[in-house]
Amino acid sequence: MTTLHPNSILDGPADHIPDETDLIEAAMRWHFDPRTGSRFWLDQADTLGFDPREDIHTVDDLARFPNIVDRLRYVPAGDLIPRGYAGQDDAVYGVYDSGGTTGPPKRVVFMTDWMQRLLVHTDQEMDERDYPRRVDWLALAPGGPHMFGAFVRESVRRRGRLGFTVDLDPRWVKKCIATGRGDQAEQYADHIVAQARAVLESQDIGVLITTPPLLERLVRDEELHKLIADRVQVIEWGGAHLDPDTRYLLRTEVFPHNRMVGRYGSTMILASAIERDGLAPDAPCVFDSFSPYVTFRVVDPETGEPVPYGSRGRVVMNHVSKSALLPNNLERDEATRIEAPPGRPGDSVADVAPVAMFGDSPVIEGVY
Amino acid sequence: MAARSPSTAPPAGNRAEPAGNRAELIELDALGPAGPYRSRNRLPITDLAGVPLAELSLVPSLYVHRAIAALRAAEPLPAADRLAALTRAGEAFTTETIGGLSVDAYAHAVSRISGMPIQIVRHATETTRRALLDAGRDARQARPMASVDDWHDPATRGGRAVWTRRGEVFAVHASGNHPGVHALWPQALALGYRVAVRPSRREPLTAHRLITALRAAGFGPDQVAYLPTDHTVADEIISAADLSMVYGGDDVVAKYGADPTVLVQGPGRSKILLAGENWHQHLDTLVDSIGDEGGTACVNATAVFTDSDPGGLAAALAERLAAIPTLPPEDDRAVLPCQPTKQAAALERFLLDHAAGTTPHLGGTGITDPVAGGGVALRPAVFQVDRADAAQTGIELGFPCVWVAPWSPADGIGPLRNSLVLTALTHDERLLDQLVDDPTIRNVYVGDHPTYWMRPDVPHDGYLGEFLMRTKTVLRD
Repeated sequence: MTTLHPNSILDGPADHIPDETDLIEAAMRWHFDPRTGSRFWLDQADTLGFDPREDIHTVDDLARFPNIVDRLRYVPAGDLIPRGYAGQDDAVYGVYDSGGTTGPPKRVVFMTDWMQRLLVHTDQEMDERDYPRRVDWLALAPGGPHMFGAFVRESVRRRGRLGFTVDLDPRWVKKCIATGRGDQAEQYADHIVAQARAVLESQDIGVLITTPPLLERLVRDEELHKLIADRVQVIEWGGAHLDPDTRYLLRTEVFPHNRMVGRYGSTMILASAIERDGLAPDAPCVFDSFSPYVTFRVVDPETGEPVPYGSRGRVVMNHVSKSALLPNNLERDEATRIEAPPGRPGDSVADVAPVAMFGDSPVIEGVY
Repeated sequence: MAARSPSTAPPAGNRAEPAGNRAELIELDALGPAGPYRSRNRLPITDLAGVPLAELSLVPSLYVHRAIAALRAAEPLPAADRLAALTRAGEAFTTETIGGLSVDAYAHAVSRISGMPIQIVRHATETTRRALLDAGRDARQARPMASVDDWHDPATRGGRAVWTRRGEVFAVHASGNHPGVHALWPQALALGYRVAVRPSRREPLTAHRLITALRAAGFGPDQVAYLPTDHTVADEIISAADLSMVYGGDDVVAKYGADPTVLVQGPGRSKILLAGENWHQHLDTLVDSIGDEGGTACVNATAVFTDSDPGGLAAALAERLAAIPTLPPEDDRAVLPCQPTKQAAALERFLLDHAAGTTPHLGGTGITDPVAGGGVALRPAVFQVDRADAAQTGIELGFPCVWVAPWSPADGIGPLRNSLVLTALTHDERLLDQLVDDPTIRNVYVGDHPTYWMRPDVPHDGYLGEFLMRTKTVLRD
């Protein structure tokens, strides 16, 4: 790949993981240099109150940035592309939306070099977890406008054979539920399960990608459960939370002989974190991020300070690469703070869940 | 009360409570097709003072669906075995130590957790024993006379109605207002249903004890299940089961009222009408209807309508009800229900807000009274409204609280509608005809009978069997 502004750290080999400080300092120079930075970041460099090129060196320093993700709902997405990519063919892989759970969708631009880096890394992760090669995959996942469909397609191209897909529109489901049309959400889920059934019954699927709620629906049907248990080698879940009790039941009772791997992704990190290898069914479900490009911190949302290891807090996400800078994003999710693998920056997270709901609202009237 | 979310369970080795305290908690495991199941997501069940006494294992939807699938796949026990097992379970429920709790320890824990006076708990225990003993007989009260129980009956040779189940799995969203609610659903077991009960977090002990006893008595884990869930999973039980019974207020009626697979046990709003009667002669029945069972039941009188001297009647009721002592619920002499202080304060605010514009005779400045050991008793309240159709007469609260209203024949039966029980103290036959004919009045007691009068062989809100069963013709050679 030719680039007009070669950078030994940001453009390093895809299988090389840079040092934390090297990466962050190089990225700050890149994103805040008027010749290479994006319009989005250059426009607000003056309002930060600090000079990223001077003051930001580590993952912890990223906490000085404001959380800009809400602005991604409105800015022209083209303004997010670093100018340093100008003149380079095929630099852009695509533009993708967040789920839109918390309002209008946020948009991010996925650059081709980042996709390459991510795929090489994912390939390694899948090898470590004994994902089979050259088998057929079935993904029950959104195609566009979310990045996950593209990511699966690329993964299959790299290491699989045929990639079967069943598209789904999570926003429609959320809308149905929010407006009290739960029956329509049910019908939609049935529609997806029916399509999945057609593939599972006729094709030899080795890797199944799905969300926990859809997986639950698939196994409610004993025939589908048996088909998956007999044929599928790896069941990868993501896109929604999986509570520890359900995960335990799935691993011990429903799929005791299949490999289940979780993925905790977010559009706002342009990636996903994969479940740590070798965890027992009863162990907390730990996700390790693709650091130092993607890092997590688990903080007390009141103070912004890290919670002790083993305690619950809110997840803060950072993405720092040549392709994008998305720092200090306080997510809605809660997680247990876990030590990152040795020598890796940031935190790992376990048992991710939406911010805890506290009981039913008090019902006063009536005897029940 | 904060549900401990699934994920708040910290990693092993970091669990907060010392082992000594945990050991004393009553563990209310789910009771599923593979036996007791202790989930990671457990809800602390606290007593009136906020002290944790028990832990309720909340199961996820996957567990619910698998449990109900197992119930559906199971064959019911033979009819005679079902009835024998119900009887044995009733004996054990009333006499034996179950799940580590003696009968006394069970009643004590229920009173401390739910605030229900302990004598009412003990009485409900005995009621439940009798209900289990007679579940087969009581369930069959609903069988149409023209039908037979079994297609093998010789009568089917010439063609005959057979009484059959409408489904296989019956789910119950139980309420926690009174332990006696668990005396009804065992009729479904008698009829051959497999039953899944979702307990109320307000009082999850009784269902756990009863289902444990039923299992020990011969109902296998694929016959009856105890499935505590948080509210997000509650609907899954209903959608997975064939038929369900749900207790709740107007919100529940609105949600499930149109669903033919759901039997809603809605608000009671029981009432008493005095027309052409001297209320002085019925004061005992009035007071008992308001305050028996601690005023917690759907059959307690919520409103009293009288065609003479409502002010005098309200004053007399207030005088009698005011004499009830404030005692902690575990006291043998306790009559009033208790609640945690904060919850009771919200209830009190609700009452006083809604009583604005009425004439208070008792409880006008508040109804909470602290008890030893934490929490407050809910003291009786008597308010007088100035018209028969005052909206307050429909406000049913879980303690002795009554609205006294004037009534005249010109008001008609409109204000008396929507009642689980209507005690009519009147000799006006035409009025009684109207009351018995009205579809929104589910039971009519004519004369000096308290609203809480019940006998298992007569319907409470229709027969459960009317909902669970249907007839079909069997004709054979």
